[in-house]
Amino acid sequence: MLTVVLQQGINGIVFGSLYVLVALGLTLIYGVLVQINFAHADVVTIGAFAAYFFTFAFGGNYLISIGIALMAGAALGWLVNAAIFAPLRERGNELLPLIATIGVSILLQNAMLLWFGPIPYAFDSPYSNKVIRLWGGTFITLQNLIIVVVSALTIALLYAFMKFTFMGKALRAVSQDRETAGLMGVNPNQLIMLTFVIASALAGMGGAMLGPILVLTPFAGTTVIVKAFAIVIIGGFGNVEGTIIAGLVVGLIESYTTQFVNPGLTDIVVFTLLLLMLALRPTGLIAEKREENV
Amino acid sequence: MPTDRVRISRRGWFLVVAVIIALLPFVIQDSYWRTNLIVCAINIMLAIGLDLLVMKLGVPFWMAFVFGMVLSGAAGMALSIFAVRLRGHYLAIASLGFAVIVHQVLLNWISLTQGPLGIYAIKPPPDIALPGLPVISFGNTANMFYLVASFAFLFYLLLDQLVRSPIGETLKAIREDEISASAFGINCTAWKVFAFGIGSAVAGAAGAFYASFVGTLVPDAFIITESFTILAMVIVGGMGTLIGPVWGAILLTILPELLRGFGDLRLILYGAALTLVVLFMPGGIAQAAQMFRARLGRLATATDAGMRQ
Repeated sequence: MLTVVLQQGINGIVFGSLYVLVALGLTLIYGVLVQINFAHADVVTIGAFAAYFFTFAFGGNYLISIGIALMAGAALGWLVNAAIFAPLRERGNELLPLIATIGVSILLQNAMLLWFGPIPYAFDSPYSNKVIRLWGGTFITLQNLIIVVVSALTIALLYAFMKFTFMGKALRAVSQDRETAGLMGVNPNQLIMLTFVIASALAGMGGAMLGPILVLTPFAGTTVIVKAFAIVIIGGFGNVEGTIIAGLVVGLIESYTTQFVNPGLTDIVVFTLLLLMLALRPTGLIAEKREENV
Repeated sequence: MPTDRVRISRRGWFLVVAVIIALLPFVIQDSYWRTNLIVCAINIMLAIGLDLLVMKLGVPFWMAFVFGMVLSGAAGMALSIFAVRLRGHYLAIASLGFAVIVHQVLLNWISLTQGPLGIYAIKPPPDIALPGLPVISFGNTANMFYLVASFAFLFYLLLDQLVRSPIGETLKAIREDEISASAFGINCTAWKVFAFGIGSAVAGAAGAFYASFVGTLVPDAFIITESFTILAMVIVGGMGTLIGPVWGAILLTILPELLRGFGDLRLILYGAALTLVVLFMPGGIAQAAQMFRARLGRLATATDAGMRQ
């Protein structure tokens, strides 16, 4: 029994850390722009496909393919900001970019459907078969260990960047008050661009690591992004620490529901938690001064 | 009946359903337009879930129709617990979460919905036999079209009246400034619940027609992206006007059909068109038409200029 609990705990953390990568992108964009980017789902999918083709079509190393997916994501993030968010920024209607990115999402998904076809790709990571035994009869595959280590390192780097570098501080300043940050010599447009690049790079690398776990089709990202929205809310929109905790919690809830309740009910449990959070504590796990939104 | 006409009337039917669906958000939108559109769009899924429940019990169609409306309205009011407390994107995500839950419940409650297989052979509304007239059967797409079209028109008129009435003014006051509205003695919470109830009830009606026209109910037909397509209709048509969503619904229902000639490129072009409309026509068709009229030298009246931005 204890072994099962521990094992599901490990699995939950593996999924949770991937959710964190995807959700952090959403929360960063929300923090700076107060906007929701629906095309984020397709950045995840494109990251997964980039890694797949690098590994299987070109015979590249899987670990390097994570970096390729990161760059593909970053490029796409830059494009989405330049084409959609930058032109719509001063219109002052929060629904317009949301709808525009839904359009982008429909476009990208169907373009991928045309190129890659509807049949799921078998993305077998070369590391999926190597098993590392842990204490008390539990184990972790090398692939899952890579996921946890790479995610943890990335999240730590991002956290350090936000906390200690000038750009990171400027980014937080812009998310607190764009006008004032501009007066202090920070270029908000540049920082918003940077945010999109970072957020999408995270989603791209998340995709590369989700690829072997998910059913890899042009619509793979959507299933992840819906959970990422829940995580962003549970953690508190725009709150980095909250998002990290919420992502891991959701990963754990999923794996324990699968084990002890019913695999079909995982989404119901997660989203009921979301609604409860909204009803009882709309500011998220870690409260922040953002009263105008609740 | 020539097949060509059947095809056209089916397309027309979809169009009218789209019109109904697009009208739903209006009442709610008026109370506070930003995100309640999404809530309402997503309510449709809920509405269909409830209709399904009613249909399954073998209740006659028109009774089920009324039940569906009442139940959906009640569920909409229940959902407004969140609406009263939340605003902006929070409300949008709350309704997204609600939609996911409904979808999952429909998928997993196999004894009721047969899960992913769905329910088949749902009967169309019963024939109407008026004395002295030929029997009107709704198994026929053309008749079904006229039935739904007349309901769409009826709902349009009712909503139009509602918006012009003191109730509409009250809702507008809440939308513009909640604090001032409550200072005038308006019970904002009660009116929000009311708006949600009305919007959801209309959604329930659309759900009943949907089920009986298509004849099948599959949970996956109501995934989240579909709900956002409905929101897109409102945006493309133009927010803040009653006629805007109608135009948006017509355009976005016909557009994929027109693009059918492009084969696999169809949905790519649809996505691109949606993006471009938002980028270059942010006020939607309603505003574009208004500007066109203004350019012709006819002054748009104050009511027509209902756009907020």
